[in-house]
Order: sequence, then C-alpha cells, then structure tokens
Amino acid sequence: MVINPVIVASDLVKTYRVPQKKPGLAGAFNNFFSREYRNVEAVKNVSFTIQEGELVGFLGPNGAGKTTTLKMLSGLLHPTSGDVHVLGFIPWRREAAYQKKFTMVMGQRTQLWWDLPAWDSFLLNKEIFEIPNSEFDKTIKELADLLEIQDLLDTPVKKLSLGQRMKAELACSLLHHPKVLLLDEPTIGLDVIMQQKVRQFILDYNQRYKATILLTSHNMEDVSELCTRLILINHGRIVSDESFESFQARYGKTPLTEAMRAAFQQK
Amino acid sequence: MKTLRKYGFVFSLYWQEGLAQRASFVMERFRALVVMTSLYYLWSALLRNQTSFAGYSRPQILTYVFGMSLLRSIVFASRTDEIAMEINQGRLSGYLLKPVYYFVYTFSRDLAEKSTNFISSIIEISGLYLIFHVVLAWPRSWQTWVLFILAVTLAMFMNYLLNFMVGCWGFWTSESSGPRFLLALIMEFTAGAFFPLDILPLHIQHILQWFPSPYLVFFPLNILLEKADMHQIINGFTAQIIWIIGLSLMARLVWVRGSANYGAEGA
Repeated sequence: MVINPVIVASDLVKTYRVPQKKPGLAGAFNNFFSREYRNVEAVKNVSFTIQEGELVGFLGPNGAGKTTTLKMLSGLLHPTSGDVHVLGFIPWRREAAYQKKFTMVMGQRTQLWWDLPAWDSFLLNKEIFEIPNSEFDKTIKELADLLEIQDLLDTPVKKLSLGQRMKAELACSLLHHPKVLLLDEPTIGLDVIMQQKVRQFILDYNQRYKATILLTSHNMEDVSELCTRLILINHGRIVSDESFESFQARYGKTPLTEAMRAAFQQK
Repeated sequence: MKTLRKYGFVFSLYWQEGLAQRASFVMERFRALVVMTSLYYLWSALLRNQTSFAGYSRPQILTYVFGMSLLRSIVFASRTDEIAMEINQGRLSGYLLKPVYYFVYTFSRDLAEKSTNFISSIIEISGLYLIFHVVLAWPRSWQTWVLFILAVTLAMFMNYLLNFMVGCWGFWTSESSGPRFLLALIMEFTAGAFFPLDILPLHIQHILQWFPSPYLVFFPLNILLEKADMHQIINGFTAQIIWIIGLSLMARLVWVRGSANYGAEGA
C-alpha cells in the first residue's frame, strides 16, 4: 500500500511586524507622531509531514503559532521563509484546483450569511465550488443526516444557537468533499452534547472519505477521542511529534492536560 | 459560463439580503429622496424669476437634478466600503480560501446595490415628476440615449475601480474610513453630483478635466441634455476609457501587493 504525504511543511517561518504603543494618553500622542514596530517570529522553522487519512492534533498554548501555521497551510498567509505543499499544491498561490480540495473551519468565524437561512449559503457554495446538482443533493442529504440539521436549514442563521450554527458551518464547509480539513477549534463554545456530536461527525468524515485532518483544540476530549497523532508547538517551535499512543505511554496515567503541560515544560 | 453563474448567485443573494434588511433600505432611500427634493426646490427657487441660469433653461436644470439623482444610484451607490472592513476584520479570509475572484465578487455585490437603488430611484423620480408636473428636457434623438447609457456604464466601472482601490488601503492601514469619506465627498462635488460643473470658473473646469470625477456624472448628463458637441463627446469617451485602463492596472497592482501583505488578523 502506498502512503502519500498530503501535507509537507519544511522549515516554515512566519514573522509579523507588530505596531507598538505605550500605555496612556501620552503614549497615544507619541504614537500619533511616530509609530514603532517590533518583529515577532510567530512560527520558527516548523517542519512536519502528514499522510493521507491521518487525523492529527496540532496543539499548543495560546500564541504558540498554531493558527498562523494553519493559515500558511490554507494559503491565507505567505510564509516569510520555508516551503509548504498540500496535496502537491503551494497553498499561497491560491489555485482553484487546490481550493476545491481543502477546507478550513475556524470555530469562531462563520461563512454563513447572517440574515439568510443556511440553505442560501449552501447554494452559494454549490455555485462557487461548481458542484453538480445530483452530487449536491446527495451530499446535502448525507451531511444533514449526519449532523441532524434537516429542520434548521430554512431558519435565518442569526436565529440559530451557537451549536446549530457550528453544525451548519461544518456542513457548508464540506459540501465540496474536501480531502484536507484544517479545523481551528471546531468545538469551541459548544455544550458537552454538541461537542460530542461534532466530534463523532469529524471521526465519521475522516473514516468515510479517508480525509486528512489537522485540528487545533484546547479541549482534551477532542484530542483523546479523535487524534491518532499529536504535534505539540510552543513559542513557534515544534516540541513534540508522535503518535497519541506513544505520548500516552510516556506519561502513563497522568491526565492529558497535565501530560501536555509537562511536555511543554520539558522543552 | 459556469464560472459566471456563481457571481450571478452572489448578485441574487445580496438582493435577498437587501430585502431582509428593510429598515436600512427604506432609510437609505428616504435620504436620497430628501437630497433630490431639496435640490429640486433649490433650483426651482433660483429659476423662479428667470428663464435660464448659467446657460441652463429651467427644463434643462431640472433634468440635470433628476438625472443626477439617477446617476447617484448607479454610479455612486456602492458597498465597496465593506472591502476595507473585510480586510481589517479578517473576513476577507473566507473569500481567499474559495475559488472566487474577490474583485468580481465585490462587483456583483455592488451591482446588486446599484440595481436596487436604481429601481427605487426610478420610482421616486417618477413620483416627483408626476406630483410637481415637472417639464423636462428630453433628448431629441435615440442616439443620445445610446451614448448616455454607454457613458453611464463606463462611469460606473470607473467609480467601482476607484472605490476598490480605496477599499484595498485596508491592507496597509486600519484607518481607511477617514480618507474614504474625504475622497467620496471630493469626488461627488467635483463629479457634478450637486450642480453642473460648467457653472464653475473656466480655470477650475480646465483643471478638473484632468481628473476622473467629471466623467462620472457631469459628462453623461451633458450628453443627455445634448449640450456636448461631437468633439466633447469623443474627448469624454477617450478620457473614460483611458481612466478605466489606468485604474484597472493600478487596482490589480494594489490587490496583488495587498493580498500578499494580508495578515488575516482576527480570522
């Protein structure tokens, strides 16, 4: 069996130029006449390879560089240096052929039209991704069944609860059957039952379509129930990259949160 | 054709959204009606005791006022102010991750805005025309209508390109709303969207002809009123085409540089 690397990141570096301001009114006046900037290296020489069908947790504390890395993989950000290939494409070239094969879901962002029913956003994505009618009908039925959202599709998005919106968001992101899913905090803000449903859905999608999934989360249940491999990142550097089993074996019966904390401290 | 369908759907969704946001729409049209009625009364008062003003007969000046209102809805009505917001709030990411041309997407959005405003404007103008029994200076030949429609279409493209570029300032600053408001005011004033530009001193008219604004409202209305001779018509169309080519190249450059500089903050 041939295993294909789907995501290859080599020595990725991303440096931001961040404006600085001293506190208070004096600082504001000073800033008005002379702006100061500081270079912040958000991602430092990050390298990893992910194979087809893997479900990988990309974990780290706030500001560790997770989302910046995902943005480079999606093509939103140009890396300052280094290379990245996803499905053989260079993401920041933003080629339509690549965009039709991946999706990025950000837990706190929505692509759904606020004043209109989710169904309209689905139809827009159908047109954008040029999905044939028959395939769209089949997919929508499948996704609606899996996510139990049949009855919500005609309600304006602004009237949906956070959990319902998240499920509609997931369905909307997957209409074009992406092979690669970049999920940034997919269960953030959801109640326990809804989290469980979303997790089950991610697992089903991964197994059913052999999709490659890279997810960030601060929710340890997401990690333990979904991920077969963990990449830990802190201060922009990868501190550990191993299977979930070997990580667990290393820390014995230590709770996952404690084990993570220990892993970050060790490095 | 299939590629264009997605932009047609965007146009339709923005229409639907406009209809869903009834209050905003009604208030906006009320504002336009107040501006048009005020200008009608102002010019009626100025021409009460005379048959002409600065070379304009009463029917000509009232045609200018009504035409100006119509052109405001086609040329100036725009949602390009959302471009800078989308960049600054990171909402642009949603478009960059999908196989859509943002430039065409925003143009479809603008067309939806223009068309709703245009239809409302026609209804309002017809209402005032009937209520005040206004005598208008209708064109004597059908060729005038053809040239007028062509000039308005080119003016619409020119203004869209200008606004798109101003929106792209959001890539470099989060404070693009100030310059945008200032530019919009200067543009409307120097476009002839408050009064015909040929009532200004000759040396100002000479300076203005080197800027894009007179070709947005004054030039098309000069055609409609059959005040422009063949020489002025050819010069006007040449200027519009040169501006469109120049602005297209600049807009492309600004977009390419800006989107490479995009930080995807908040997304």
